[in-house]
Amino acid sequence: MGEVIVITSGKGGVGKTTATANIGAGLALRGYKVALVDADIGLRNLDVVLGLENRIVYDLVDVAHGHCRLKQALIKDKRFEGLHLLPAAQTKDKTAVKPEQMKEICLQLKEEFDYVIIDCPAGIEQGFRNAIAGAEKAIVVTTPEVSAVRDADRVIGLLEAADLREPKLVINRLRPKMVRQGDMMNIDDIIDILAVDLLGVIPEDEQIIVTTNRGEAVVLDDRSRSGEAFRNVTRRIMGEPVPLMELERNGNLFTRLRKIIGLG
Amino acid sequence: MGPEPGQILAESRVVRPEEHQTVLVQRTLRSGQSVYYPGNVVVLGDVNPGAQVTATGDVIVVGALRGTVHAGAGGNEKAMVIAFRFEPTQLRIANHISRPPEGMVAAGQPEVARIKDGIVTIETFLTPGERQTSSLRVSQSLLDDHEEES
Repeated sequence: MGEVIVITSGKGGVGKTTATANIGAGLALRGYKVALVDADIGLRNLDVVLGLENRIVYDLVDVAHGHCRLKQALIKDKRFEGLHLLPAAQTKDKTAVKPEQMKEICLQLKEEFDYVIIDCPAGIEQGFRNAIAGAEKAIVVTTPEVSAVRDADRVIGLLEAADLREPKLVINRLRPKMVRQGDMMNIDDIIDILAVDLLGVIPEDEQIIVTTNRGEAVVLDDRSRSGEAFRNVTRRIMGEPVPLMELERNGNLFTRLRKIIGLG
Repeated sequence: MGPEPGQILAESRVVRPEEHQTVLVQRTLRSGQSVYYPGNVVVLGDVNPGAQVTATGDVIVVGALRGTVHAGAGGNEKAMVIAFRFEPTQLRIANHISRPPEGMVAAGQPEVARIKDGIVTIETFLTPGERQTSSLRVSQSLLDDHEEES
């Protein structure tokens, strides 16, 4: 019996889909059977980020309405053994699925898979309610901006009201240099307001844009900082205690030298 | 021996039922969540930005107050707001609406807001023994910003 995790944020554009793709890929890399569910009906893009767009035949709405069997709609990933996608419909909207139908689909999926990860749409309306209906755990993604943190707080309140207690937090797109200069909220500021457990911090990384546009996963990139951060998040989901990585390790030789001789 | 039923004590005062009715909120209020109570409200947790607490009596926050709070709703000018960390978005007592002074930093200790001489003032919350060294801060009335409305 697997575990159903919803990835949500309230605000759009903070990296829910990127996080879903990379956490899914990371878990598959570790040998788990993973199903990713795109709950963003009408604005689907998890399939695009995974590079699976051209393989879609059936989708979530077809399964919910009994137009096809669940197995027929699941798409196998091209690189990761064990990674599957249940795509969203693009020509319908959020009202095409009911929370009970989502619950039923999640129940079926978790019999087959070790992890079922749901990519939640932005907002707190029906799409959000659908996405969290079948979930047992929640991961809230935020960026170090007041607006994103405010929305994350709202969403955590709604998750708690829906009995999804103790959601875990991922802080995305952190810029250590700006934090050091006092121009960006730091991790403690965010935790202070949200008061939830931290699952990981992903540094801002141009490589993410490159891999996402190519339909690849940054977790595969051994040299990328964000890839390492996502690998750590994956290991923490599996239950391994992994310390937070040092965010400013990649200074150039000169700054590192200064640090060594005590000028940094 | 306690006082006889009906006996009037030297220190007694008339307590209306709505003054001593208090609700205990044993959680953090997050953005979008609100509490209204005809009486006093005690929050055992934080009041986050975007959350709102409204009470006809006093409001006490055993945690950080960052949201909007309205004490003495309905016109009770004696109402107080007490918070362990006092940095509200907006503060309303009775018919006074105010916001904290620009650039205000939380004092790092409990503070109390109440109406003094018609102005909402925020000061360190002191036990009776500590009262001599109280520091006074005056909050900025929002009525100045919206004079045409009044």
